[in-house]
Amino acid sequence: MRLLVFVLALAACTSTAPPTPTETVCPDPDPGTLTWDSFGQKFMTDYCTMCHSSALSRTQRNGAPYAHDYDTLKSVLYIPDHIDADAGSGPAAHNTHMPPDRCPSTPGGALDRNCAKPTDEERTNLSLWLACERNRPHTF
Amino acid sequence: MAMSGHHHGASELALGVSLEAAEFDTAYYAGSYQGIAPSVGWMSGRLGASAAIGLYHITENGLSRYGLGDAMVTGHVTVVASDALDAGMALHLMWPTGSETAGLGMGHAMAMPSVWATWQPQPVTVHATAGYGRALIALDGGHDHGLMPLVDPMNMQELTWSAGAELAVGHGVRVGARTAGGIPIGAGAMRMIGAGRVAWGTPRITTGVELQLGVAGDPFTLRGVVDTALRF
Repeated sequence: MRLLVFVLALAACTSTAPPTPTETVCPDPDPGTLTWDSFGQKFMTDYCTMCHSSALSRTQRNGAPYAHDYDTLKSVLYIPDHIDADAGSGPAAHNTHMPPDRCPSTPGGALDRNCAKPTDEERTNLSLWLACERNRPHTF
Repeated sequence: MAMSGHHHGASELALGVSLEAAEFDTAYYAGSYQGIAPSVGWMSGRLGASAAIGLYHITENGLSRYGLGDAMVTGHVTVVASDALDAGMALHLMWPTGSETAGLGMGHAMAMPSVWATWQPQPVTVHATAGYGRALIALDGGHDHGLMPLVDPMNMQELTWSAGAELAVGHGVRVGARTAGGIPIGAGAMRMIGAGRVAWGTPRITTGVELQLGVAGDPFTLRGVVDTALRF
């Protein structure tokens, strides 16, 4: 019984909310204010592509999953739900799993600095942009 | 912890430790991990319970981390008990003490009821299990992550199975082989491992060495496990 209490107490200390879809819906009509050029590319460059880049080999990615690359709009739209659930904010969730606490100063480098963190507004805009961008026509 | 009822009517406390090292190469991650998992088990008559939790060092896509795995608590009851055949039911509960982001935990609790049987026509022992595993969250909630975590992957909902046999070759030494896996219900992937094992010791203390091969579902490419259990 003591072991069970210990395990449950440990779990309470260590478990965090899992990545959760924010269930953000793009307004109709799409306002078109948040785009890859006006928002998405800068967000990904500021917070993600030091690890989530197609230019990095597996051993250079500091734990970022292979094929989870955010250096192009096409690759972002490959897994928008995943990005939303890890870093987005919306009606159903406020996700802060990404970026992590430590980041590299150079792509693929050592984790030698604290990661810059998006503001709550940026996380909300991320989810809203993804909700709209996924429904827009693309040529790729 | 074995669930066969060698000690019908007697009480027994078991302390164990398992060391493991593995390499993995999945669709999204390549790397390795090493773990140590202390465990405690108790049996009294037909009832038994055990608990275990792993502590890991994992290197995934170039990132090295340390952390707890998910904690496992098991209760089991022997329904059929004879000299040659034992059979019963078990309930495994897994608590998400491991980090899902780090690949060390499922990110949610799991419940895994199962039935098991052990047939012992000496010098051979044959054992098999069949069960069901399910994440204790809404499965339509968008959290389906496929096989997770990296250290011991499972589906969100699956049928589980295992089968194996051991041969006593004398001087307290047993050699055997086993296989285990899961068949997803809904989204997911089939997983399967195969293993060869050598164990030796006495009824009081046993040590085993197992070499495991990932056959399907990318659980790992190769994993080695050394386990020791001391019974009182």
